[in-house]
Amino acid sequence: MTKKLKGSLAHILLMIYLLVILYPFLFVLFSSVKTDNLAIAQNPFGFPKEFQWSNYVEAWVNAKISTYFLNSLYIAVIAAIATIIMASMASFALTRMRFTKLSPMLYQIIILGILIPGNALLLPIYNLMRSTNLLDTHWALLIPYAANSIPFSVVILTAFMKSLPSEIEEAAVVDGLRSPGIFARVVMPLTVPALVTVFIVNFLGNWNEFLLANYFLSEDSLKTLPVGMVGFRDAFSINYAQMSAGIVYSVVPVMVIYAILQEKIIEGLTAGGVKG
Amino acid sequence: MNKAMRSPLMYALFLIPTFVGIVLFFIYPVANAAFYSFTDWNGIAKTYNFTGLANYTKSMSQNAFWVSVKNNGFFILFSVFIQVPLIILFSLLIANVKKLKGLYKTAVFMPSVMSTAVIGILWGFIYEPDIGLFNHVLGLFGIDKVYWLSDRNWAMISILITNAWQWTGFYIVMVLAAIISIPKELDEAAMIDGATGFQRAMRITMPLIMPIVSVVIMLSIAGAMKAADIIIVMTKGGPAGSTEVMATYMLKHSITSFKYGYGNSIAVLIFIFTLIITALYQVLVVRRTERIEY
Repeated sequence: MTKKLKGSLAHILLMIYLLVILYPFLFVLFSSVKTDNLAIAQNPFGFPKEFQWSNYVEAWVNAKISTYFLNSLYIAVIAAIATIIMASMASFALTRMRFTKLSPMLYQIIILGILIPGNALLLPIYNLMRSTNLLDTHWALLIPYAANSIPFSVVILTAFMKSLPSEIEEAAVVDGLRSPGIFARVVMPLTVPALVTVFIVNFLGNWNEFLLANYFLSEDSLKTLPVGMVGFRDAFSINYAQMSAGIVYSVVPVMVIYAILQEKIIEGLTAGGVKG
Repeated sequence: MNKAMRSPLMYALFLIPTFVGIVLFFIYPVANAAFYSFTDWNGIAKTYNFTGLANYTKSMSQNAFWVSVKNNGFFILFSVFIQVPLIILFSLLIANVKKLKGLYKTAVFMPSVMSTAVIGILWGFIYEPDIGLFNHVLGLFGIDKVYWLSDRNWAMISILITNAWQWTGFYIVMVLAAIISIPKELDEAAMIDGATGFQRAMRITMPLIMPIVSVVIMLSIAGAMKAADIIIVMTKGGPAGSTEVMATYMLKHSITSFKYGYGNSIAVLIFIFTLIITALYQVLVVRRTERIEY
């Protein structure tokens, strides 16, 4: 009896926590189809009485979600791919090629980047982008995003590549492959599971990034989703129903990705111990 | 054999792209920030003067700077003394339930993959004085309206709650993984000896997860030093500078008001503070972690 009680006490506490996590999303979801602020104010907790789906249409148009969405999507994807190419080449050289004295040193230099607080480097990078005339182009995000995720990616990929048996190179060499061939045709295919994890984590990091995107781009048509949403909030904060629809647009894609790939995402994020 | 995997040329070609990135976006910026922190450069002009430690002494004499340091301190204290106990409690609870374990784990982690900017907007709505969720809940208990984000006394704590909402689950999953990896025999042996659930949690699980808890503390301190986007989105440092942290203070005084040298001295201070914490972490945590054996 007491055991049962204890078991259910744990579930009650966890359910309360779950409610705290999920209710804000539900609140926004309900608010997004309510007619106006008054309807939200009168019935904040409940299901909407009338559904105003046009909030979604108007938010899509007013908040230019489609523009921001596409900007975010292609910047996040391309930067993540660029990181993976660079980091996997470096990880291959560091773990598989026979430079056993040099490699640990170079590895240390690369992962030093994890210890450096990103914010502290924002000003020099801003200046670098300005002096190369890249401010206010998407290059101003693509290049720093790709570079900033290198240390984390190298940590994960070297750990994975180290665990591959050394016989694979020997066999490949006997078959006449040289290092680029071994990299592209032997090691990379075997590394796919780690590459997928690293790609998703970097993609999410790029997708959610706010500070660089906020300060490096001023042209509206170039902005990414988080920055665009903040601008929309500042302009339309009086209409909370429409703002909620905007929030739904920016939260749903990430939720869908998370729902499908949550194991890999949790694995990757907690392995790197990286924070937004 | 050796030839294929020992070609210096190939080795260099594989590493060059990464090192170009590391040099341009980590090494150069650190050096650049350190260098200009000793100058009065405005970020645009062709000339600048060396001013020694003037930027550093200036920041130290600014009340607003100390407010931002204090707020970083709040962030750290809140993380360590409020968030960490909750993280341990909920990790133990999730580890010990039989049903719905997967649901709890998946759901609590979810906010950590969301954009901080969008979460800032979402919570701004929840804190909205007239139609937001919080004041409605308080209203049910007959408590007066609170202007969460525009009241100096409440703005910082409102941001800390939002930050905790976003990241607590992230750390719970880390601690949970550590608890699950503890061999079951230890717990079973204690159970046979007649230890209660609470005793087992305190005497067996807790000591064994201390290394990961130390990592969590370290990460949340580092996170507290980094926090900037959530503040920019929710309060822009206001009301009257009461939610400014070092990173937002730096941004305000550099990009927006062209004090590049001064801004970089703040960047260096953030860097030094974080470095000290990292060094402490190496000494206090990493060594201890290596000693744990089952």
